[in-house]
Amino acid sequence: MRVTYGIAILCILVFAYGCRKYNELDEDTLDTRFSGGVNTAFDESSGAFSHAFPELSANDLAVHEVGDRHFEISFVTAPALIRPGLGPVYNNVSCASCHIADGRGKPALPGERLLSMLFRISIPGEDAHGGPVSVPGFGGQLQSNAVYGKALEGSVNISYTEEPVYFSDGQSISLRRPSYVVQNTYIPPPAGMLLSPRVAPPVFGLGLLQAIPESTILNWADEQDTDGDGISGKPNYVWNLRAGTSTLGRFGWKAGAPDLLQQTAGAYNEDMGITNPVFDQESSLGQSQFDGLNDEVEVSDSILKAVAFYTQTLSVPARRNIKDPVNVSGEKLFTQAGCNKCHKPSVRTAVDVSFRAVSNQLIFPYTDMLLHDMGTDLADNRPDFKANGLEWRTAPLWGIGLTQLVNGHSNFLHDGRARNLMEAILWHGGEAQAAKEFVRQLPKSDRDALLSFLASL
Amino acid sequence: MKPQLSTTLIAAIAIIFAFHSCKKNSGNEAVVSVEPAEVIHDFAHKVAFATYTDLEAKANLLFVQVQTFNVTNSNTDLASCKQLWKDTRAVWEKNEAFLFGPVATEDMDPGIDDWPVNKDDLDTLLASNQVFTSGFLDSTQTTLKGFHPMEYLLFGVNGIKSASEFTNREKEYLLALGDYIKRLSTKIRKSWDPNESGNYLVNYTSAGQTGSNYATKRAALEELVNSMIGICEEVSGGKIEEPLAAQNPNLEESQFSQNSIVDFTNNMRSVQNAYFGDYLEDGIGLNKWVNQSNISLDNKVQQKLTAAINSFSLITVPFGQAIITQQLQLHQVQEKINELKDVLEGELLPYIQAGVTD
Repeated sequence: MRVTYGIAILCILVFAYGCRKYNELDEDTLDTRFSGGVNTAFDESSGAFSHAFPELSANDLAVHEVGDRHFEISFVTAPALIRPGLGPVYNNVSCASCHIADGRGKPALPGERLLSMLFRISIPGEDAHGGPVSVPGFGGQLQSNAVYGKALEGSVNISYTEEPVYFSDGQSISLRRPSYVVQNTYIPPPAGMLLSPRVAPPVFGLGLLQAIPESTILNWADEQDTDGDGISGKPNYVWNLRAGTSTLGRFGWKAGAPDLLQQTAGAYNEDMGITNPVFDQESSLGQSQFDGLNDEVEVSDSILKAVAFYTQTLSVPARRNIKDPVNVSGEKLFTQAGCNKCHKPSVRTAVDVSFRAVSNQLIFPYTDMLLHDMGTDLADNRPDFKANGLEWRTAPLWGIGLTQLVNGHSNFLHDGRARNLMEAILWHGGEAQAAKEFVRQLPKSDRDALLSFLASL
Repeated sequence: MKPQLSTTLIAAIAIIFAFHSCKKNSGNEAVVSVEPAEVIHDFAHKVAFATYTDLEAKANLLFVQVQTFNVTNSNTDLASCKQLWKDTRAVWEKNEAFLFGPVATEDMDPGIDDWPVNKDDLDTLLASNQVFTSGFLDSTQTTLKGFHPMEYLLFGVNGIKSASEFTNREKEYLLALGDYIKRLSTKIRKSWDPNESGNYLVNYTSAGQTGSNYATKRAALEELVNSMIGICEEVSGGKIEEPLAAQNPNLEESQFSQNSIVDFTNNMRSVQNAYFGDYLEDGIGLNKWVNQSNISLDNKVQQKLTAAINSFSLITVPFGQAIITQQLQLHQVQEKINELKDVLEGELLPYIQAGVTD
C-alpha cells in the first residue's frame, strides 16, 4: 500500500505541476505563461488565437459561437435569400477574410490586390467631433472593391524600396520602405487627400484590453513628458456614437474606436458595406455607387452584439519557454532598452461584477494603450482625433511569436512593412529612437536573445 | 474513510505506466514502436500531399470534361461534368480535417470553397460584356469562384439542369471556373509537394527543428488533432445546425447538387484519414502510436469515428429535406459527431500532450 500511495503522490506532484490553474498560482511568483490571466489558451497550433474564454457560462459560450459563425460568413450582393448586403463598395466579404484565423493581415506585394489591408482617408481639418474629415465622394475609407456593375472607389499600388541599416558590429539588415500610389479612382480625389495604411490587427484578447481601467491608462499617460524619460504617452479621445460624447479610444492602430461594439459596427459598415444599428447608412451614401435602396439594417442588433462579444471573448495564447535562459536574458534586454516603457508588460483589469470572465485579471499584453510619436519614418501624417500624424497606439505584443504559424507570415507594424521582428524594431523612431539605438548597439548574441524573448510572447 | 484515488489520478498513473512499458513486450524483447516523427511523416506524405495530388488530378479531369461539354453541349457530357464535380468535391471535403498551412493562410480555402454564391453579381456578370479570360477569376470576390458557382451553373437551382438550358455566356463562365479550379488545385498541391521550394510539407515534418513553424513534434500533432476537432465542430455546429435550427434549406451549402450529406460524410472520412495516416495507401497514423500504449483509447476513437460516419445512413432524403422531415435523425448524427469531437478533444489531445515529449 505504501508503494501505491508513493506512486500516487508522485503522480499528483507531476500532474499538479504541469496542470496548475491560473487561480491557484501565487501572484508574487505568477507564471507569466498566463498572458491572458485565466483567459489563456495553451495551444501552439494554428488555432492558437481562436479559443473562447475557458470559463464562459453555457449561455455566453453559445453567444460566442454564434458570433464566431457570423465572423466567418461571407456576404453577397443584395437581393439574396441569405447573407445579403455586401457593398456596393467594400474592402472584403467577411470579417475572417482579413482577420484570418483571428490573426494579423498583411500588405499586398507590388501588383497584388489588397486582401487584408485597407486605407483610411481624410482631408485636412477636424470634423464636428474632432475626428478626421471625410473625403467628398469617398468617405473615410478607400473601398478597393465593388459589387459587379458598380465602380470601386480606387485602388492603391504599393511599391517598396530597400534600405540597409547597420548594427554597430557591422552586420546589416535591409528594411523595405513602402510607397503608396492611389490609382483607378472612380472620380478624381481631392488634392492633398491624406492616406493611412492599416493591416488587419489580431482580434484575440480584446475583451481584456477593454477591461483595463481607464484610470490605469491615464496614470501611465505623460503627455508633456514631465518625468523627462523621453516617453510621453497620450490618450486618444474619440467620438463615442452611443454615448454621444468623446470617450477614451482603445482599439485600432490609432486607438480610434472607443469600444468593441463600435469597432465591430464600423468594420461591418466600412469594410463590407453592411449597415447595422450603429451605422445604419451605407458607406456609399451620396456617391454614385449608392444603390438607393432604403435597406433595413443588414446585420441585426443581436448579431452585431454577438460578433462584438466573440472578439471580446477570445483567449490569449500562452507564452512559451519562459524559463529558457536565452529568453530570460532577452527579457532583461527588453527592459534595459526601455521597450517596457510603452510596451507595458503587465496590468490588472478592472473588477467587473457583471462579467466575471474579464474581471480582476493580471494580464501581460505589453501595451500601455497610449499614443506615442513613432517618428517620421512610420508617420502617416494623418490626424485621427487626438492622434497626430506621427502617433500610433502602442501595439500589444502578446501572441506575436505565433504569427508565422497562425498567419503564415511575420509582417508587423500598422502597414505590415516589417518582414520580421527585428525589422519592426528598427523602424521605431520618435520616442522609441533611444530604444532602437540600444538594440542597434547590441552584439548579435544579445540581439538574438531579444528576438527569442519576443518570439516567446 | 479511506482516501479515494481520483479518476484523474488513475488516468495519470495509467498514462505513466503505459508510456513506461510501451517499448518492450513481456519477454523483454524489443518490439517495433511507432514514433511521433513517423506519424508526422506519413500524415504529411500519405494524407496531406496524397489528398492534394488527387485533388489536382480530379480537377484536371473536371476541366477537360467542361471543355468537352462546351463543344458538344450534350446531356451525356453534362452528366459527366456533374459527376466529376462531385468527384473533385469529394477529395476537397476529405482535406477539411487538416486545413492548416498555406491552404488556410494564403486564401486558397476561400478561393475554392467560399459560400454562398453571389448570384446577383453572377447574373450581372453573365449579362455583361466582360471577357472571362483565364485569369479573370483571380481578381474577383471569392463568392464568384470555386466549387459553388460551378455547382450552381452545372446543376441549376433545382438540381436538374439540362444541356439545352445553358447559355453561351454560362458555358464561357463554366470554362473559366474549370480552369480556375484546376490552377488553384495545382497551387494547393504544390504547397505540400516535397519537391517544391518553400513547401509546407518540409515545414511540418521538420517539427522541432530550427526553421519549422512547430517548435516541437507535440505541437505538430496538436495542430493535426485540433484541426480534426475543428471540422467536427463545423459540421455538427455549423453546416448541419444552422440550416436545421433555422429550418431554412437556403442555408444548405451544397444545395444545388444536393450533395451535402456526401460532403459531411467525406468530412468525417477526412478525420479518419488523418487519424489512420492513410489516404490511397496505408500509412503509420496516430492510431498505431496510440494503440501501442493505450488500446482502449484507440478503440474508442475508432468506434466513435465509425459511428459518426455510419450515422449519415440515417438520412434517407436530401439534406435540404431532412432539416424538415428527419430532424430527429439529424440530431442523432450531430450527437455522434459531438461524441467523436469529445473523445478527440477530451482524451486524444491530452494523451498526445502528455505522451509526446519532444
